[in-house]
Amino acid sequence: MGKFLDLVSIDPVHIIITIINLMILFFIFKKFLFKPVQEIFDKRQQEIDKIYSDAQSAHDAAQKDKTEYSEKISAADEEAQQIVKKAAEKAERISDNIISEANSKASAMLKKADEDIAQERKKAVNEIKNEISSISVDIAQKVIEREINENDQKDLIDSFIDKIGDDNG
Amino acid sequence: MDSINITGARILFEIPVTDSFVIKITQAQVNSWIVILFLFILCKVLTRNLKVKPESKRQLIAEFIVEKATNLVNENMGQKFIGFTPFITALMALSACSSLLSVFGMYSPTADLNTILGWSIIVFILITYYKMKGGFFKYLKGFTQPIAVLTPFNIISEIATPVSMTFRHFGNICSGSVIMTLVYAALASASALVFGWLPGALAKFPFFQVGIPLVLSAYFDMFGGILQAFIFAMLTMLYISSAAEED
Repeated sequence: MGKFLDLVSIDPVHIIITIINLMILFFIFKKFLFKPVQEIFDKRQQEIDKIYSDAQSAHDAAQKDKTEYSEKISAADEEAQQIVKKAAEKAERISDNIISEANSKASAMLKKADEDIAQERKKAVNEIKNEISSISVDIAQKVIEREINENDQKDLIDSFIDKIGDDNG
Repeated sequence: MDSINITGARILFEIPVTDSFVIKITQAQVNSWIVILFLFILCKVLTRNLKVKPESKRQLIAEFIVEKATNLVNENMGQKFIGFTPFITALMALSACSSLLSVFGMYSPTADLNTILGWSIIVFILITYYKMKGGFFKYLKGFTQPIAVLTPFNIISEIATPVSMTFRHFGNICSGSVIMTLVYAALASASALVFGWLPGALAKFPFFQVGIPLVLSAYFDMFGGILQAFIFAMLTMLYISSAAEED
């Protein structure tokens, strides 16, 4: 059956072996379990720190961009307003020009029309005068045929001319 | 049934150094080495191919162990002693795994007094080292506190620390294995009595040993073993940190 130790026995060699065993296991744990896992923890921490700082810098950059863009947008707004204002002014100016031009043209046209009318009238009056004088000559011939005196003739012509002048006056 | 033999570890072989000094290699040492080898392989397997982003369950287990052990040491000893974590973990793992060997019917190295005594001696050395850190004479003077008459008692209490730790652990595990041996023997005799009338080899088959010892085994081998490992580690941490606080 082989030999056994007593249930309770003390053997210095066994104690020393035990101590060495525990020390060996301590080094095994330290070297093969805690060291690699701790390294992974440290690496992870570094990575997390890096991610955090990256996020912070990205956030800062975004903030910067945002302010820049809002500035740009407000500048563009202002510019657009100015452009609109300018365009409106220009349009007003052009329309004023057009209106004044139209007015002057219209007045010129009116004036010309008036002149034309006046000329036409003059012409007409002259024509009528000629007609009348020819008619009066005819009348005078007829009257002469009837042998009227000079006075009668003169009265007659004057009254005719007066009448015509009244009609066309 | 043969008479019940309650003994220590089986002596596997003897190395004679001189005529009177013989190194006996017993089951306790061999099983310790088996446990250490197992834990070494476990460490290698768990920490193989570690990634910053854990992909394997193995890595999660390894990280869990390291984190829990570090937290435990940090809580009980403080940040100053965080370097003790691998030592405490080794102590706990060696103790627990040694005790758990009995689940597989192997001899527990923790049922051997020498094993626990060795651990306690290490703990005692550490305690003394931290007490002496404040100065050797201060350490000696500490024994005469609060009055000189108490010196012998102080010395006894100092030595009692590792002794009590040893016997607490050893007593629990050893008594567990003794009780289990007795229970197995008792169940074998009981089944021989009850089923003795069965023909042939069946008469000698210990039916009662199937299942019934499971409950006791669960307590003595598993619960007891793990609990004692935990207690031993806790006491180690408390003694060392309190020894360091004294100066």
